[in-house]
Amino acid sequence: MWSGILRGVLVSVLFGIVLFVLIPVHVPRPAFIPGFAPPPDMWPRTVSIAGIVLGLIVAAMAWAGPVARPVPDPEKQPAGAVGLPVLVGRFALVVLAFALFVVLVPLIGFVLAAILLTATAILLTGERRRLVWGAIVAVALPVALALFFNSALGTQFPKGPFSAFLGF
Amino acid sequence: MKRILTGVATAAALVAGAAQAQAQDYPDQAITLVVPYGPGGASDLAGRALAETARDYIGQPITVLNKPGAGGMTGAGFVSDADPDGYTLLLARVGMALTPAVNPQSTVDWDAYTFLGELEASPMILAVKADAPYDNAEDLVAAIKENEGTMTYAASGATAIDGFTVQALLSDSGMDPLTAATLVPYKGGGELATALLGGHVDFLAISAGSLMPHIKSGDMKPLMVFAPKRMDDLPDVPTADELGYEQAGQITGWSALYGPKGLPEDVTAKWDEVLAKVAEDETWLTLAERRGSISTVGERDMAEYAKQQYDLFHALAKKFGYIQ
Amino acid sequence: MMNDILLALQAVATFENFLIMAAGIWGGVVIGAIPGMTGTMAVTLALPFTFYMQPVPSILLLVALYKGSTYGGSVSAILIKTPGTASAACTALDGYPLAQQGKAGKALNMALYSSVIGDFISNLSLIFLAAPLAILALRVGPPEYFMLMVFALTAVAGVSGNSLLLGLVSACMGLLLATVGEDMYGSFRFAMTNDMQAGLAVAPVLIGLFALPELIKLIVFRNPPKTEPMKLGDNRVSGREFRASLKSILRGSGIGVILGAIPGVGPASAAFFSYGEAQRSSKNAANFGKGELEGIAASESANNGACGATMIPLLALGVPGDVITGVMLGAFMIQGLTPGPLLFQTNIHEIYMLFIGMMISSVLLFGAGKVTMRMFSYVAEIPPTLLTSVVLLLCLFGIYSIANSMFDVTVLLALGVVGFGMFLLDIPAAPFLIAFILGPMIEENMRRALAISRGDASVFLSSPITWIFAALILFVIAVTFRREVAKARHRKADRA
Repeated sequence: MWSGILRGVLVSVLFGIVLFVLIPVHVPRPAFIPGFAPPPDMWPRTVSIAGIVLGLIVAAMAWAGPVARPVPDPEKQPAGAVGLPVLVGRFALVVLAFALFVVLVPLIGFVLAAILLTATAILLTGERRRLVWGAIVAVALPVALALFFNSALGTQFPKGPFSAFLGF
Repeated sequence: MKRILTGVATAAALVAGAAQAQAQDYPDQAITLVVPYGPGGASDLAGRALAETARDYIGQPITVLNKPGAGGMTGAGFVSDADPDGYTLLLARVGMALTPAVNPQSTVDWDAYTFLGELEASPMILAVKADAPYDNAEDLVAAIKENEGTMTYAASGATAIDGFTVQALLSDSGMDPLTAATLVPYKGGGELATALLGGHVDFLAISAGSLMPHIKSGDMKPLMVFAPKRMDDLPDVPTADELGYEQAGQITGWSALYGPKGLPEDVTAKWDEVLAKVAEDETWLTLAERRGSISTVGERDMAEYAKQQYDLFHALAKKFGYIQ
Repeated sequence: MMNDILLALQAVATFENFLIMAAGIWGGVVIGAIPGMTGTMAVTLALPFTFYMQPVPSILLLVALYKGSTYGGSVSAILIKTPGTASAACTALDGYPLAQQGKAGKALNMALYSSVIGDFISNLSLIFLAAPLAILALRVGPPEYFMLMVFALTAVAGVSGNSLLLGLVSACMGLLLATVGEDMYGSFRFAMTNDMQAGLAVAPVLIGLFALPELIKLIVFRNPPKTEPMKLGDNRVSGREFRASLKSILRGSGIGVILGAIPGVGPASAAFFSYGEAQRSSKNAANFGKGELEGIAASESANNGACGATMIPLLALGVPGDVITGVMLGAFMIQGLTPGPLLFQTNIHEIYMLFIGMMISSVLLFGAGKVTMRMFSYVAEIPPTLLTSVVLLLCLFGIYSIANSMFDVTVLLALGVVGFGMFLLDIPAAPFLIAFILGPMIEENMRRALAISRGDASVFLSSPITWIFAALILFVIAVTFRREVAKARHRKADRA
């Protein structure tokens, strides 16, 4: 029950932030739009209000009683007995890896950053046996993709300090 | 393998070099031409036509990259922020001068570039549906006055070039450009033309390329042309200037080639040379004619023209009340 | 006329043309099947080549790429739960569960048959019904468009899985995210950085929402989805299964043709519309989203049904409905041909050639689909730990090269995290995507209609087309409500 209420409240709060914080600041109303035509903030406001109401209904229904017998989702069961902190830690590592990729691209180039991200991702999935294949995917594939996109579409990927002698 | 590639490259460079009087370093790799609008439109076609024509003269492939969004400012900003090495260039449109002139939120100034040269003029046409009861611009203007703001026109946005064509006409006719007719925003030439064809709006004034097919098939009536001179395809349709519309007479569409600010001398010199050849290229001229444009390569000093356009739109925006 | 057709047939049936079309179709299927590469990319890439080709083959090449990529999107949707194109999003809902049950071959075949039939019907309507459909399409103004798109949005009810409420929450999130960027009047919304002024593109949102959460799930739970090995006997679609889905295929094709003919609607909306419709009327409604062949049939017949039909407004009126037909219009003009009613008088020979070529390409689509299916079936052999990383790489490179934009890549990664969060909260992703794609069309047409009517809301009930859709929308709401009530009662009885 509590998780259901929490979920509903979370949804309402998210839409509430959009409605009360983001829209007033980030959706300006140009003066030249005629009075009878709906202004730019009309639609986002409508949708946010709908979202808040829906979130409250979700919470209220969870309060009224579990809608469905909680069926444990097999996809949400960790393999092996690990605690919640480990799961949260793994998730934090993924987000960190994604963020680092975006930060690193302008510094070390797209291809090198992609190699690092892929290698991290493969290791994070717990893969330890097929490391040779992992290395091939992490190193050879990005280089091949960069060459392919460069020749087929002429895409220029962001270059880093090592690009001069590595060629990418 | 690498040796073969180098050999091929050297051979290609030699051939290219022989064609030119002197050998230069620029360009030694592919050039990216950014089109700041989506694929398939008038600017995209102009960009691809330039890429196809100029590659033979510059000796390197030119890759067209569509970067649409924010009235062309996304692609324009990408180029003005790029390294000024001559490998990232912009197919500039009238929007590059218009948007900074009318929108204080605009992110790229009109002069944040190196101006390499003008490419083409693309006329705009004021049109109504074939069965509309107006046969000339004066009739339409009279009807707009009579209907006191209830007539509708389609445009890409209030401060887009195809909105300014109509607003300048309204202003020239002594009406309030913002309220005398109702603007209905659509995205892109195809949607705009469909809105008029389906009778969902009463008139519009957008680029010729999107309208010519419907004018030729007799589904639309052209009333007036926004261009310095009459179009070859429409010899009987007067220009705004001829009809005495002073502000509307100065509005027209154009394309130009820009680069990031501070392009080195050898790059600008190279492009001067290339554009001079493009100006007389048979393919370039045919493709321009087919998309409803007039090639103007090398006819004007682009920096001066861009300044003049910016001033024009800035003054209009103040007059219309978009900016104080 | 017979003579004209024979002459055209002779002109089309050259080895070179076959080669061009086969390459186009097959290239399209492969590009569509690779996550991160889109049909628009394929068509724009081919445009410069058409400058040097004869008019008809050049258009046929572009059409072939378009059709191929629309089908190809279903291959990755079924095999790795990552729709290669937005129009295959609903295909993933049923295709991937089937693949997990060891029936990937069956799902792929059903997708192919539905695509080819949809494509074929689409070609026939282009040839025989272009004029009336084009007239109908022109009557669809902002109010009609608005009602039509609201009705398409009711498909959300069909893709919400266990909870309609959470599906609606998901749809609201999609509607909101779609408003980021330039407003139709020229101001900006939620543009906190300069990049955001351009808004969020469909491809990074689609891929981020569908592909990346799989990787994050694997990393966090280390519990790869159980996939049964493909069973030999389960690769073919049996006659009975085909007959059971035939109604959905034909209806999907019809929906695709009619919606495709309306400029701006496109294959994705048609597929959502058709899936929602099939789910509502099917005897197996409860099995939708769990591996129902009929769901694949409905979605795939509609998206390919819309492909050929997008040529109707292009050829008959000279107006492009979407980016891809916009590129085709460009290709026509470059060739000195002007699409529109005049083309049928001045260039009837080319028109016949085009029609014949499109019929041939339906057959080629079948062959290309079969080949690609076999190529990609090895995907199932790759261990998930490596496969998810391969998909990540393909997405990173593909999304970056659409517009050389790191912003798009950032959106991709951020949406992956959002998608994982939604998975944790049991909020389904499909309604988000449907709303993200339909939202702008709904909002813009509502505002256009109100601008034209000067704020009078009765404009939304001003024509027979709007009445029909208003009635349909009410009907769907009533049916959905009844079904939800019945479900709630059922659960109560279960618990008691």
